[in-house]
Amino acid sequence: MEKIKFEHVSYSYDHETNAIDDVSFEIEEGSYTAIIGHNGSGKSTIAKLMIDLLERDKGNIYIDKMELCDETLFAIRDKIGIVFQNPDNQFIGATVADDIAFGLENHQVESERMQEIIDRFAAKVNMTKYMQSEPTKLSGGQKQRVAIAGVLAMAPSILIFDEATSMLDPQGKAEINHLIQEIHKENKLTIISITHDIEEVAHADHVIVLDKGKVVMQGSPVDVLKREQQLIDLRLDIPFSMKFLKELHAHNIKTKQCITMEGLVDELCRLHSKM
Amino acid sequence: MPIAFKDVSHIYNADSPFSYVALDHIDLEIAEGSITAIIGETGSGKSTLVQHLNALLLPTQGELQVLDQCIDSKQKPKNLKQLRKNVGLVFQFPEYQLFEETIIKDVCFGPKNFGVQEEEAIQRAKEILKVCGLDDSYLEKSPFDLSGGQKRRVAIAGILAMDPSVLVLDEPTAGLDPQGAKEMMELFVQMNRVYHKTVLIVTHDMEHVLSYCDQVVVIRDGHMERACGVKEFFSDIRLLRELRINPPAVIQLRERLRSEGFAIDPSIIDIKQLAEAVASEVKHHE
Repeated sequence: MEKIKFEHVSYSYDHETNAIDDVSFEIEEGSYTAIIGHNGSGKSTIAKLMIDLLERDKGNIYIDKMELCDETLFAIRDKIGIVFQNPDNQFIGATVADDIAFGLENHQVESERMQEIIDRFAAKVNMTKYMQSEPTKLSGGQKQRVAIAGVLAMAPSILIFDEATSMLDPQGKAEINHLIQEIHKENKLTIISITHDIEEVAHADHVIVLDKGKVVMQGSPVDVLKREQQLIDLRLDIPFSMKFLKELHAHNIKTKQCITMEGLVDELCRLHSKM
Repeated sequence: MPIAFKDVSHIYNADSPFSYVALDHIDLEIAEGSITAIIGETGSGKSTLVQHLNALLLPTQGELQVLDQCIDSKQKPKNLKQLRKNVGLVFQFPEYQLFEETIIKDVCFGPKNFGVQEEEAIQRAKEILKVCGLDDSYLEKSPFDLSGGQKRRVAIAGILAMDPSVLVLDEPTAGLDPQGAKEMMELFVQMNRVYHKTVLIVTHDMEHVLSYCDQVVVIRDGHMERACGVKEFFSDIRLLRELRINPPAVIQLRERLRSEGFAIDPSIIDIKQLAEAVASEVKHHE
């Protein structure tokens, strides 16, 4: 079933050029969608339109078949959680526990229930040990985990990660990507990851590619990633496994296409053991 | 030898209960004309290290030699202005520091501060913006109307316009799209090869270290763990593991295949060579 639908949506920041230009797409309930595009392609604007932080100029947006408008706005915002790029810009509480509580307090959840919810989601993101820690004592990856706990505590059905790993070091990045995949598997949430990490794209169910505010490609990761030249022209890239296979094919060796390191190792081992 | 750290320690909040040793007896030499990657986990002391290079931080103990100047705990170098002109330091997310109305004014700000005449500053700014991939049509635009990657180019152009002989960059490609990051790294290689600048890059991206750098310096808990050539560094799998460094994809693949029984030379660090080795292994088995 469709969870999110954009229908001919346009938006302009300056009333001259469209940052989002006649964009239409659908996102399936429970799917993991990667929205990719270079810096300035309009990726983040999509997330802001979805919760009406920016108001579209044209077109319609539907969440759970509800049209996004003044009457449905708050019901829709309750369904959507967003984790932003900069870990320092979204830590509001004085401690980890306070920060997770922030949204719950706004929703006037009773304090006994609140404690239980905070404990549960702090455990979920593996931050129980740091409950009373101040943000200055945490790494970027830990702050992003707290942000994820705070958002999950609001029980959204859609979770958006807006370049949530791009300011983290490799370890922080790996932790968060792993956590996102775990949440997706366990909770059947609809997940949207706005990213230009091409290796992450391989793990999505569906990929939407934006350029100059338009959807220029859409499909499964394999379908999108095989269009190498187009991706490079769009200032993106292809995963390492595909680059390697291109080199290998030049030596007259035939293989299946692989978009992840795991797939590549399996395929090469299969060739190697074949007599 | 333009840069040498001699037994440098830096302690934040020394003599207070909050004192914290960020750098611990660092001895290090950086060769003139090289591109050096400075790597290490978050909080290891990389940024503290590079902020010593133009005396933004002074050593708590020890001294360092930068170009022809000496920096120690007691005093800032006599000719601080000259040092700051010669060592261009680009912080993380430098685009947050843009402030002028137009791009040309922003890039001219540094040189003018160092006493360059307006006309010459404009001339230099134009040239350097071109090298950074922004043609004359951008000059009168506001830097705030640019995309993230372009803003960062303007900020870096502002440093390059001062014509420093040492260029220090703290995570210059964080947050850029793949082609933007590639172009940025190629710009630094050009600065090194064509304009003979000594380049130091603080980075977490091992692909960039492998593809663009000559030397690697590893900082770990404020200590200097290792300083060596890139090829030597990535051949030492045991060290990489110990440092919990996620190696570049080509080395990950090489090691995965070796553990699966492929006979592959462990010193290969190039994708073409690895493909050739895998091809000959597979053909051999056919």
